[in-house]
Amino acid sequence: MYEVRFHGRGGQGAVMAAQSLADAAFIEGNYAVAFPYFGAERRGAPVLAFARVDANKIYRKTQIYKPDYVIVLDDKLIDLINVAEGLSKDGMAILNSTKKPEEIQLENEVRTATVDATTIALDVLGVPITNSVMLGAFAKATGLVKIESIEKGIMDIFGARIGERIAKKNAKAARTAYERTAIGTCKGGRIFKKEKKWLPTYKELPLGLATRAMKTDAGLVGPGSFVENKTGSWRTFKPIIDKEKCIECLFCWFYCPEGCISRTSNGLKIDYDYCKGCGICANECPANAIEMVR
Amino acid sequence: MMRMVTGNYAVAYGALLSRVDLIAAYPITPQTFIVEHASEFVNDGLLDAEFMRVESEHSAMSACVAASATGVRAFTATASQGLALMHEVLFIAGAGHLPIVMPVVNRTVASPIGIWAEHNDTMPQRDTGWMQVYCEDNQEVLDMVIQAYKIAENKKVLLPIMVNLDAFILSHTVEPVNFPEQSKVDKFLPRYKPEHVHLSPDDPMTVGSFAPPEYIQEVRYQTEESMLNAKKVIQEVNDEFAKMFGRNYHGMVEEYRTEGADAILVTIGTVTSTAREVIDEYRAKGKKVGLVKLRFFRPFPIEQFIDIAKRTKAIGVYDRSISFGSGGPSFIEVKSAIYGHTSIPMINFLAGLGGRDVMSDDIELMLDKTLEAAKTGKVEKDVVWIGTRGVTP
Repeated sequence: MYEVRFHGRGGQGAVMAAQSLADAAFIEGNYAVAFPYFGAERRGAPVLAFARVDANKIYRKTQIYKPDYVIVLDDKLIDLINVAEGLSKDGMAILNSTKKPEEIQLENEVRTATVDATTIALDVLGVPITNSVMLGAFAKATGLVKIESIEKGIMDIFGARIGERIAKKNAKAARTAYERTAIGTCKGGRIFKKEKKWLPTYKELPLGLATRAMKTDAGLVGPGSFVENKTGSWRTFKPIIDKEKCIECLFCWFYCPEGCISRTSNGLKIDYDYCKGCGICANECPANAIEMVR
Repeated sequence: MMRMVTGNYAVAYGALLSRVDLIAAYPITPQTFIVEHASEFVNDGLLDAEFMRVESEHSAMSACVAASATGVRAFTATASQGLALMHEVLFIAGAGHLPIVMPVVNRTVASPIGIWAEHNDTMPQRDTGWMQVYCEDNQEVLDMVIQAYKIAENKKVLLPIMVNLDAFILSHTVEPVNFPEQSKVDKFLPRYKPEHVHLSPDDPMTVGSFAPPEYIQEVRYQTEESMLNAKKVIQEVNDEFAKMFGRNYHGMVEEYRTEGADAILVTIGTVTSTAREVIDEYRAKGKKVGLVKLRFFRPFPIEQFIDIAKRTKAIGVYDRSISFGSGGPSFIEVKSAIYGHTSIPMINFLAGLGGRDVMSDDIELMLDKTLEAAKTGKVEKDVVWIGTRGVTP
């Protein structure tokens, strides 16, 4: 059996990537499972997905803590969290990065594959969704599944969800990544600050979770605690308002799902601390006054 | 002061004496009179409360949850389908530790549509984190509304509670009820002053938030601990009430003539009253039978039943509802409670479903079968349906 952990952000398609990998392995006669773990924050939030592949029926129902492979869909995550946590010494990290494997530093020295997935996704798909791309890289880096099976898996899973036309583009993106993936070994010795979590006992936990503003070792909790959780770091594209073109119709202010646009005496202002770069404002702007800049 | 009132009036007057702040009202037979009486109290200036006419029971419970979260005493009443419609909001009140008191007039849940007494409305709510008490007469109904607030608002408990009364048999029956004086009730039940949750702009709190698995198991344990703490608090409140008002309901269960009994019948709700008479007749004939009135279903009186089971030879349990494919809820719980402590035979009796009258003859049959089990140590049938055409009891 081999176990794969996907790291991505909501909207990058980690879940569909895990499903497509499992489907590809299944096509080749294996038993395979894929499942997600994510919170309620939706687009942009760090997301985990998992895949297990074996010749026989898989009974294990836990999340994967000691993966054989990790696939990282978002290039910024490598610097934020220890994506290689628990990674087997014989395992491999497959990363979305513009760097060569030798230029990457992770917790341990492990075999590493890199591919500039964001650029491929933008070229082939027109959007920075890197899931299918990274599957092509996985096929190349591990040789565990044929690229043809990955293409079939993408056609199955993506085809059913978003239609054949886009599925084909994704299969092409995977093939492109397959051809461009660099394989090597990363540097080890990177120390990640262990993320502190607020884990109170049931007695320490406010009754029924009715929580006042509190300072904990892991940061603020309760009303107002989001000052510490700046979701702007999740952004790939940044909306820029052209004040010359803006007619102040307030469509962007109305449609922004994060409430990040405010009206000021000096026109509309975007709060980049929390803007996730979803681009809805640019899409809705009737004056084409908002440009999304990478 | 003694007055001739219905169970519904007793409930409403209990709310008045408890000085509730918010009444969320939505009508459903046979409960409607409760909120009608309450609306009159508010209209006549007898009760200083916000009377909120909501568009459904789901909204009624939502209003109570919100009101209780602002730190006031919240009240509503319902029955049958109305309670079913509240189901999802009940969990929010339970895990949110909101001490709402809700009388439920136990009425059969469709289908078929019926308006008479059955406990298949409240029994399915047993896992929502609400306490449940079942009453036997209108006096107990009034007294338990007052006691319910005191139990629910106790700092060691802080859980909502249902005060249950059988449809028509109590809700629409007039009988003499002693109305306690307001000043005495005020002394017994002071103003509610919550610390754990009271939404206010001056003291911001996050209430009803999202929580990942890292926290929810601890929240579950909090509810469980409160439920277990309630066992002691119920007894303390019972004893304090008895001392102050002279009426003792004996806490989680009441034993009636159980001394030296070979066979004990456990009853819930109004059947208890009829059973008292039959027990007296049997005792007069020298038959060693006793009665246990099951009052609190949540928390369940596990310790009491372990003790009772050790003192008798067979236990029969009467239920006015059934968990299809298993048995009556009280039977299942009593059996589970005494497991490992004794191996005496147990029988479940189902009767009075859909509000069919449970008669003295039916109770005699229950006692005879339990006595037989006590004698032989054996049980022919675990679950006995009484008075069901085509089914041999």
